[in-house]
Amino acid sequence: MSLNPAQKYPDTIPAIDTGKVMGLKRPLTLAVAGNPNAGKSTLINALAGTRLQVGNWPGVTVEKKSASFEANGRKIHLIDLPGTYSLSPYTQEEIVARDYLVQEKPDVIIDVVDVTNLERNLYLTIQLLELGLPLVMALNVYDEALQKGYVVDIKGMEKMLGIRVIPTVATKKTGLDELLAAVTELADHPLPRSLKILRYDQDIESAAAVVAGHIQADHPQLAEKYPVRWLSFKFMEGDEQIIEETGLTPDDAAVTQAVDHLIKAHDSDIESIMADARYSLAAGLTQEVLKKPELRKIELTEKIDRIVLNRWLGIPIFLGAMWLMFKLTFDVSKPLADWLTAVTTGPGKRWAAALIALLHGPDWTASLVTDGIMAGVGSVLVFVPVIFAMMFFITFLEGSGYMARAAFVMDRAMHSIGLHGKSFIPMLLGFGCNVPAIYATRTLENTRDKALTALLVPLMSCGARLPVYIVFIGAFFAAHAGTVLWSVYVFGIGLAILMGLIFKRTLFRGEAPMFIMELPPYRMPSFRSLMIHTWEKGKHFLIKAGTYILAVSVLVWFLLNLPWGVTQKQDSYLGRLGQAVAPIFKPLGFGTWEASSALISGLVAKEIVVGTMGEIYVKRAEEEKKAAPPTLTEDLKEIGTSLVMALRNSATNVFSSFAPSSLSTAEDESRAGLKTAIQHTFTPLSAYAFILFVLLYMPCAVVAIAMRQEFGTWKWFGIAFGYQMVLAWTVAFVVYQGGRLVGLG
Amino acid sequence: MSPLGLLSPGEKAEIMAINTKKGCGLGINKDQCGHIEDIGLRVGKTVEMLNNGGGGPILLRVDESRIALARGMAMRIMVEREVL
Ligand SMILES: Nc1nc2c(ncn2[C@@H]2O[C@H](COP(=O)(O)OP(=O)(O)OP(=O)(O)O)[C@@H](O)[C@H]2O)c(=O)[nH]1
Ligand SMILES: [Mg+2]
Repeated sequence: MSLNPAQKYPDTIPAIDTGKVMGLKRPLTLAVAGNPNAGKSTLINALAGTRLQVGNWPGVTVEKKSASFEANGRKIHLIDLPGTYSLSPYTQEEIVARDYLVQEKPDVIIDVVDVTNLERNLYLTIQLLELGLPLVMALNVYDEALQKGYVVDIKGMEKMLGIRVIPTVATKKTGLDELLAAVTELADHPLPRSLKILRYDQDIESAAAVVAGHIQADHPQLAEKYPVRWLSFKFMEGDEQIIEETGLTPDDAAVTQAVDHLIKAHDSDIESIMADARYSLAAGLTQEVLKKPELRKIELTEKIDRIVLNRWLGIPIFLGAMWLMFKLTFDVSKPLADWLTAVTTGPGKRWAAALIALLHGPDWTASLVTDGIMAGVGSVLVFVPVIFAMMFFITFLEGSGYMARAAFVMDRAMHSIGLHGKSFIPMLLGFGCNVPAIYATRTLENTRDKALTALLVPLMSCGARLPVYIVFIGAFFAAHAGTVLWSVYVFGIGLAILMGLIFKRTLFRGEAPMFIMELPPYRMPSFRSLMIHTWEKGKHFLIKAGTYILAVSVLVWFLLNLPWGVTQKQDSYLGRLGQAVAPIFKPLGFGTWEASSALISGLVAKEIVVGTMGEIYVKRAEEEKKAAPPTLTEDLKEIGTSLVMALRNSATNVFSSFAPSSLSTAEDESRAGLKTAIQHTFTPLSAYAFILFVLLYMPCAVVAIAMRQEFGTWKWFGIAFGYQMVLAWTVAFVVYQGGRLVGLG
Repeated sequence: MSPLGLLSPGEKAEIMAINTKKGCGLGINKDQCGHIEDIGLRVGKTVEMLNNGGGGPILLRVDESRIALARGMAMRIMVEREVL
């Protein structure tokens, strides 16, 4: 049943009563627009209860995201647009936001304004108003404005702009009801007052009127499709995107005359004239409605910045922060990971086997479950604590505002590789997971920067590679685990610099870009939002474990056990495939079929390398059954007490973090199988070469997809794949052969 | 008038001119057209230098926002120091 609400509910019904007739109201689509970091995503999360990504740095949302919820029985659809400073088509975010607004014509725009930066935010508001769509302003971050002692004349603002202005604090969910009420009222009663037009100088307006007349007369179909006044401005400004889209050409003499006249009168280019007109309006409005206290306090943010961005201290502080982050990651997660290993390999396996026996499943199913799925997925799952801990710290970096500082501090260093500081943010995110890092390249201004950054991101060692390092380091370098692990990360960074230098001179010649970025105020992320966003980031690994890794584990098991009845694993399909590839890895020190097949399966996702090794090296199920199995209660008791121990250890580790031993990998019985097997087939040198190979070869299938999406072609992924394979092989070769030469073999 | 990049930390100045390509908004190359002014750095604005050390980017306060800006760009912005 479709109802035309305009007919059923005429204007005489006040908006407040709409609750009584719920369910019949037309659903609303609201576009949330505003400056970067104004709190758009936070506001949507608060309204709709969603978990869109939030972070205290400009450019968190790069793609439009949507969320839906119901208010008073009415379906409301929110669109989270990327933050923009303007609606000119210079950055990808601006184009995304503008195209959405112009083409989809949402019912109402919610313009999220950071009141602590009113003038600059109003500049965008004024451009949004040009579109002629109904608009309600959320005057956000109102808490900080009050704290600073600002006085805002909200009534005056409403009058001057001709829109409703609602103060909000998105983080504390304040003002949301009023905002929703204002939005629904406007959607249901599009009163003429909401269509008040902000006028610029007379000469601009009359030129625009000429252009509008031309459009209306000669291109009526465009006048239907676009807001005419806006289109006239864009046309006057010579907006390339619009001219291309509409096919408009300034052929009309009257139009060119009108524009020329403006240019002469102002002695400037038309774009600057328009920008100035908008900006003076914004500045004038701000002056009218905002009273700041006479004396400005020096804020905490500035005090912190003096230290953190100090010429000499900046980089050491950054490196120290990184070191602490890695160290805490492992200290907190290690005991929990050990506990999980013990549970999955011990009782978990026994129970699964027992269950299958109970169900009278054939022997091979028991092997599939225990040797295949549990060995494969289990060996990856145990790294979930590490990955979550890492995501927690990255979330903290994002939420506190330090992320943008890191970009500032590293700007100079980044210039040497032909990039600027902003490219550093994707790289930093890459330590968590390369996939969001690839998406984060979108905030960079041009394709050159984006592509170069995306090519280097995979050299940042992501969380998924950790399992491999930890297994190998545990087997060979347990005494120096921390140092060796650190060296792997540093190796990746070093190679990123090297490759940057090479790319800068080959594929990416041309002017190094200019750095311009807003540094947000420091904010203490709330515990709740830390937890939510850590979970949102980390859950992908769990999902991966339940999907790809599960699938690959099953596949690997079959490949290891086919043709049916193979007794020697190396005669299985996987074994043969591994043997075929092994010669390539021979000069690198790991030319065994086991290592080769593990690396092949790792193309899907790096964690799988450990999973496959777990399956290959796993002890036969029969052997394990020989030991008298403990009873269920014994098992449960053991699991419980060891969990308590693990939690206690991770808590104490945080506080004793600076003790040098806390990173060492304790010997644990359960993983002994895989570990001893590795110790038999690798030497410390070849193990290190293997680790580096894993660091450097193609990160995972999802990154491939992400790169394809971002660039719209496979070209850049192709280049990344090619150079990484060559690099991985070369580095492993040099390390292994070099090491042998100096007698490390 | 002096280039913005030469202010010392703590100094305030009014922006007099942004010397970039005409006709292409306000950035230095096509890709950055508009950006510099959209972010709030405009002729007539008073800015405060917050950080200007070494050869890296500079940090400005423009109203209540902190804008990090490449030194090369800062040298093309002409300012008049505020006399106290
Ligand atoms: N004090 C205060 N902080 C807020 C408020 N709203 C949002 N924030 C914080 O501002 C930061 C930015 O919030 P986001 O929701 O990510 O901003 P956004 O507008 O989506 O930013 P982009 O996606 O980068 O365009 C976060 O640290 C929020 O916690 C508010 O009303 N008061
Ligand atoms: Mg956002």
